[in-house]
Amino acid sequence: MTDIDPITASVVRHRLVGTVEEMGEAMLRTSFSQILNSSRDFSTAICDAEGRLVAQAEHIPVHVGALPTGVVAVMETFGGDVHPGDVFLLNDPYHGGSHLPDLTAFVPVFVDGELAFWTINRAHHSDIGGATHGAYNAAAEEIWHEGLRVPPLRLYDRGEVRQDLLHMLAVNVRHPRDFKGDLYAQIGSVHLGERRLTALVEEFGAGTVHAAVEHILDAAEREARDIIRGWKDGVYRGQAVLDDDGRGHDDITIRATVTVKGAQLRVDLSESDKQVQSFLNSSYANMRSAVAMALAFLFDPHTPKNDGALRPLEIIAKEGTIVWAKAGAPVALSTSHCAQEIIEAVVDALSAACPERTMAGWGRRLRIAIKGDDPRSAQPFIWHLFHARPGAGACCGGDGWHGSGEWHCAGGLKFGSVEVAEVRFPLLFKRHEYLTDSGGRGEYMGGAGCSLELALETDTACVANTAGDGLRHGARGLMGGEDGRPHRYVLHRPGEEPLPLASKQEGVHVPARFTFEVHSGGGGGWGEPAKRRQAAIDDDVRNGFVTARAARKMRS
Amino acid sequence: MMRLAIDVGGTFTDVVAVDEAGTVTFVKVPSTPHDQSLGVMDGIALVAGRLSVPVATLLSRTERIVHGMTVATNALIERKGARVGLLTTAGHRDILEMREGLKPERYNLRLPRAAPLVPRHLRLGVRERLRADGRVEIPLDEASLAAAIGELERAGVQAVAVGYLHAYRDDRHERATRARLAEAMPQAYVSLSSEVLPQIKEYQRLSTTVVNAYVGPAIRYYLRGLESRLAAAGYSGALLIMLSHGGVGPVDEAIRVAAATVLSGPAGGLAGARHVGAALLEAPDLIGLDMGGTSTDISLVVGGQAQFSPERIIAHQSIALPSLDIITLGAGGGSIGHTKGGLLQVGPASAGAQPGPACYGLGAEHATVTDASVVLGYLDPDRFLGGTARLDAAAAERALRALGAELGLDAVRTAEGMHRVVNAHMAEGIRLATVRRGIDPRRFGLVGFGGAAGLHATDLARALRIRRVIIPRYASVLCAWGMHATELRFATSRSHVGATGRLEPALLRQTYAQLEARGTARMRAWFDGSIECRRSADMRYGEQIHEIDVSLDGIDLDDTEHSKSALKAAFEARHRALYTYALDDQDPILINARVTIAGLLAPLPAEQLAATMDPATPSGTRSIYLGSWLEADVYAFDSMAPGQNITGPAIIESDTTTVLLRRSDRASLTVQGCLDIAVV
Repeated sequence: MTDIDPITASVVRHRLVGTVEEMGEAMLRTSFSQILNSSRDFSTAICDAEGRLVAQAEHIPVHVGALPTGVVAVMETFGGDVHPGDVFLLNDPYHGGSHLPDLTAFVPVFVDGELAFWTINRAHHSDIGGATHGAYNAAAEEIWHEGLRVPPLRLYDRGEVRQDLLHMLAVNVRHPRDFKGDLYAQIGSVHLGERRLTALVEEFGAGTVHAAVEHILDAAEREARDIIRGWKDGVYRGQAVLDDDGRGHDDITIRATVTVKGAQLRVDLSESDKQVQSFLNSSYANMRSAVAMALAFLFDPHTPKNDGALRPLEIIAKEGTIVWAKAGAPVALSTSHCAQEIIEAVVDALSAACPERTMAGWGRRLRIAIKGDDPRSAQPFIWHLFHARPGAGACCGGDGWHGSGEWHCAGGLKFGSVEVAEVRFPLLFKRHEYLTDSGGRGEYMGGAGCSLELALETDTACVANTAGDGLRHGARGLMGGEDGRPHRYVLHRPGEEPLPLASKQEGVHVPARFTFEVHSGGGGGWGEPAKRRQAAIDDDVRNGFVTARAARKMRS
Repeated sequence: MMRLAIDVGGTFTDVVAVDEAGTVTFVKVPSTPHDQSLGVMDGIALVAGRLSVPVATLLSRTERIVHGMTVATNALIERKGARVGLLTTAGHRDILEMREGLKPERYNLRLPRAAPLVPRHLRLGVRERLRADGRVEIPLDEASLAAAIGELERAGVQAVAVGYLHAYRDDRHERATRARLAEAMPQAYVSLSSEVLPQIKEYQRLSTTVVNAYVGPAIRYYLRGLESRLAAAGYSGALLIMLSHGGVGPVDEAIRVAAATVLSGPAGGLAGARHVGAALLEAPDLIGLDMGGTSTDISLVVGGQAQFSPERIIAHQSIALPSLDIITLGAGGGSIGHTKGGLLQVGPASAGAQPGPACYGLGAEHATVTDASVVLGYLDPDRFLGGTARLDAAAAERALRALGAELGLDAVRTAEGMHRVVNAHMAEGIRLATVRRGIDPRRFGLVGFGGAAGLHATDLARALRIRRVIIPRYASVLCAWGMHATELRFATSRSHVGATGRLEPALLRQTYAQLEARGTARMRAWFDGSIECRRSADMRYGEQIHEIDVSLDGIDLDDTEHSKSALKAAFEARHRALYTYALDDQDPILINARVTIAGLLAPLPAEQLAATMDPATPSGTRSIYLGSWLEADVYAFDSMAPGQNITGPAIIESDTTTVLLRRSDRASLTVQGCLDIAVV
């Protein structure tokens, strides 16, 4: 192997990270759908020819560690039949994907005629066909109800797009024009990555780049092991509880047994509850990704997110449980739930091993997808709720960030501009502010959730789907801190009692001119509430995050 | 006639005077942080002294003063700006703190929560609402406005930012609010979002407006004070302020868009580095390293062009005005050494100008990087600032010895350690500026300037494997010198959301003509030189939400037949270059029409050294520490001849800068008076 000096390795590392970030930036700037160009629900990454994760952009943590499974699926399907100019596509959770709306594009990068890297773009599409709009079907009982399944397929053959295949995909989704705009943006993004990697190899030589990659992965492994070595050895148990499966079964539980031994870590999820009938189930790739995410949060913020950093980790799970459903089960919600509960169970377990690194629960996701007709343009639309983000969890030494979101995005999902949303959709945002008394109490307070009042300005009825969790269980408090307030979502019909929405509901009829009232939950508190400093409490009250009454209660 | 450029930094105030022949006179005086204009007047007086004329005579012969300052940056970084109140549309008072849901540092879930510039109890909703199409949904409710203003008044705010939803479309409610504020709080600095950044996307618009209100009162107070001091001293020419985008504007403009002055000082340095490298040395790819007393600014010139960024985050605050891409590190000559967990650390705390490093003899006891340089023999205590000040070497040594005692090291080893630590920190900063932007620093030249760079540049270059270091003759005052090499600039724009975005040549012609007429008139009010208008457009496909900047150079809007397809082709070419593809079956739309009005200033006359000079001989030797004590030759920078070569170890010093050549560094003097150093 070529010898490599640390400066060159460092330059190559930053170039690789810079490349995935540039791929992400291009995606953000060129995509058509609000879920991508405003809320950035996508990831970009580079894997090597063996499918090892080399670099991943810091967009949405939920995809960390899930993309290599996709590369492996493409390679198993096509073997050596991979050529310059090819573009591959997949979304099927039982063939390398996470859940159906996450369509993933792969471009093989060749160096001197040899496959050297894959550039990858995974993007959450606004719609992926199936029984209902917006890709989250609470009524689904099997994967076929959730949308179009795409096993690994070749969309571009040596630079030529396969038009018939593209047409087949486009007619199976609800808004083909937007779908194609987003797909072209994905393909542009992976081609941009290919262009940058080719330039990198031309500049340094293939031998140097490959040697640098080994150096980078080994360095990340050393860094991760050094951190784990600082944790107290032992066997730790943790758990997290979901509200329900949407089919009448409450308190679905994820159980994690984590063994810390020297610089090695074993996470065993096999005692988790059995798989359920609804979209709460996790695919295998998604489960691995959730565990990787928990570790990324507990490691140092700048520990690289690559294959090397995950080498100290062994994961054990049982097929047929909620964290690893058998092929054919619905899994659409799993990138939010139960991924977030997997994280929470692992963090809960490790709170005894490294309390100063842990954080209380971040808010749970509860989305609404609305389908209707825009009276201004006479065009149909699908709008996904990203506003009213829940509060972040507090940690040792710090209050939680207000309205900064859920575990699975950790402050990385942007709700985007209200002004842009009103230009593009028939919506009027009457109120969008922080919610008083929502953060979990503790020595350090959970971040506040939000209060949103949203008028739907269509002339005809709309259909809404909800998908999420957290109406009964708020974000989890830690080390004596209390849970954040759970969500409350209500539909206001003029002259009628407000109608509370359930968290897993398909096909809610929403007549024209109705209003949504969304109260998103607060983050979990950290440490005993009685230990909170008086000055901090006074500040909470002056700024309206806590009412005077709640503050008095906290001191007693 | 003379021209003056004045750069106020955290430690020193630099004044560079240039006459018609290009002869440069420059001085460096201590900054006066409590009122920066005092230092400015000191500097002007010193220049007058050098030229042997009274101040009034110098100023009456001066046609132009260009000024860079750090008032806004300091206020933001030190969180010492105005107490600001924010008025928003009722129901939307948290836009500023929400940051569109984004938290910085994705994988740092333990990051302490950032405090917004305006605390929540000073963010008040006002009952009013515009719709996306500009129609009034709720008229401005006077009672609600009066109540909010009353509350801000009682809270004693000094500045008010106003940012209502969709105000980029129609500013009527914001203007009415300003009228009420003027009645109730006539002293308050008022900043309207529709004026500061009339563009869609409320968070960026509001954040920029709040920053403007936060720094505005200090900028207004300072610039008005400076204007009257200058007038009292006999000056009647133009006072121009260096802005973050690298151009200059008049005082009124700088007060109005105070947020555009956050890079006022560093922008001059970039202009200077670019002028030295690109224009004089034909070195198009440069890293600018401006090491001053309190901080170090790192900038990039690629292919002779400065790099821009559309949004700048300073101290967690978004400022969405186009600005030069400059990275600031909290390390400089005044950075204080301290220990943490038994490890030596340098900065970010700085001794500033007063009391300054221990060797200034003003009573400071902390050891700074400058003190370390004295202990190591790099700086001559008797020749500081050309001998106008004397450094207290004993005080420097005492400070280093005290710090060393905490580490079990002697003063010299501690001083050497401080240099190593601060250089490692700066090398990482340069890596951040280059490698993370996909640029390999090794093919770049490093232009070192600011008072302290000459002692650190070749060591940094070696760490980064950079082979060429350039130290300009005016290194210590390059920011001020560079301010002579810039242009007057206004940027005007107009948003076109909706149907008008279609590329109708007649409409575009009219829009651009109006923008040009208005901008030109504004420039003409105080400038009679030649003016250049540059047209560009922010364009995108209809469903995208991020625009790309398309230059309209070479597109004739009068040619109705071809301009539409030319515009489309220009957009597609740019989209392809940036993102690898374009969509053949779709037409792009135009969101913002932009016109930059540039007033071209006469270029900086270049002074060349006489080729007939004799090579300088060492003026003496000095003991310096480079791993061991050795005797190094000392040369006077100003007596070196063009083409003369000097190999390290050696010291080359002038009144305001000292350059350390380490072993095997080889310097030669160019005809422009720059040290061109090969680092092996």
